[in-house]
Amino acid sequence: MKQAHCIYQNEDHRWLAIARDPGKPGFIVDTNEYLVMSGEDALLCDPGGIEIFPSVFSALSSECDPTRLSGIFASHQDPDIISSLALWLEFKPDLKCYISTLWQTFLPHFGGDESTFVPIPDPGMTIRVGGLELQAIPAHYLHSSGNFNLYDPKAKILFSGDVGAALLPADHNDLYVQDFSRHIRHAEGFHKRWMGSDRAKRDWCERVSRLEIDMMVPQHGAIYQGADVQRFIHWFSALEVGVLRG
Amino acid sequence: MNAPEPRKHLAQSHSGELARIVRVNEEIKAIVATAFRINLMALNAIFLAKRAGNAALGFGVLSNELRRFAQDLTRHMAALREMTSGSVGSVTGVVQHQRNAAILAEAIRLSGDQVKGVRDVHRRGLARLAQQQARLRALDKKLRAAVEETQQLVELGGVLARSAKIEAAYGGGFSPALMQVSTDFAEVIAQIKRSLEVLGKERLVKD
Ligand SMILES: [Fe+2]
Ligand SMILES: [Fe+2]
Repeated sequence: MKQAHCIYQNEDHRWLAIARDPGKPGFIVDTNEYLVMSGEDALLCDPGGIEIFPSVFSALSSECDPTRLSGIFASHQDPDIISSLALWLEFKPDLKCYISTLWQTFLPHFGGDESTFVPIPDPGMTIRVGGLELQAIPAHYLHSSGNFNLYDPKAKILFSGDVGAALLPADHNDLYVQDFSRHIRHAEGFHKRWMGSDRAKRDWCERVSRLEIDMMVPQHGAIYQGADVQRFIHWFSALEVGVLRG
Repeated sequence: MNAPEPRKHLAQSHSGELARIVRVNEEIKAIVATAFRINLMALNAIFLAKRAGNAALGFGVLSNELRRFAQDLTRHMAALREMTSGSVGSVTGVVQHQRNAAILAEAIRLSGDQVKGVRDVHRRGLARLAQQQARLRALDKKLRAAVEETQQLVELGGVLARSAKIEAAYGGGFSPALMQVSTDFAEVIAQIKRSLEVLGKERLVKD
């Protein structure tokens, strides 16, 4: 079963990480889900796939009244990100789903109708959750062609989707990166193969370098905090991407 | 590690509805193919009767009737097929809903029943399910009525085939050939009757 961990709290402004599921079937890639709460509202970032829905739902319910959920932020269109959409809508039919405008007509294959989706234009947009103004930050082609990160300027947290993702061995259960150089080995192959555009990568590195980030929280693997965030950006800017082998 | 047990269960219990539609469709396809055969056989019979001339006047008339019968049957089957393909949409809706409801029920079980919003979910779910099942039931009724109508048509085909057999006896030198053709007719029509009986027993929804 997954568990919700509070990674940030300032009065009613909270971030929960729903991470590591030891009970998850081995054939499914491990994912992290994040919940941003403020006032009466809550936004779920990359809610995950159908198979893990019961586990994510119950972890979320243990820390938050699920009827408070007002929206879903989908960094991109992958099944490990958003194939559980129909189930969340089954629970709360008026949920809004924020997704790149590119995927607006593709996601209804997972669920929802014309009233469900809020398309995010290429340059990004502001998403309000309670008293917060979160920023959808462009991360196109990393790896999806219509791809966004979500930045919380108050908490200084960047939800980075697949950027920063590490496919960790089953016995690596740390929530936070402990040793950057050991951790990044598990991220290297993924970034080389999945991230297709060097230009998009440089663009992203430049964009996020301008942000104040205390924590970078990816959809797979451990959370980068403090100096490891800058370490990651440097490492990524120097990495050759779009490589099939080697 | 294996997938959790309850999910395997779900897949089995809900695959039934779609499997039923597939069976209905297969049965309809078989009848359509047979109707096509009757059409060809009737054409052959018409030519044979022409060659037999005066000796097979009655047989010729019946062959024309059988050909019209095959065409009517094809039209009936096309209408049935349209009904079943419409039902695939409804059944898919029911299956999808049942699957989602079961996964959600599992999520709620894991979270404890005191989770807010659960009663609303049940109410909405039941209402939607009832609506979808009512639609399926109506379709099922329509399908059964159409099958019954087709069964009556095939009864008429059976009468034509029997009459053709009697007429064949007066076919003089052509009698053995005409007899063979009319026996083939009777067999094919019996086959369609059996298929329709199977079709009549299939239900798109469990009672
Ligand atoms: Fe992805
Ligand atoms: Fe992913």
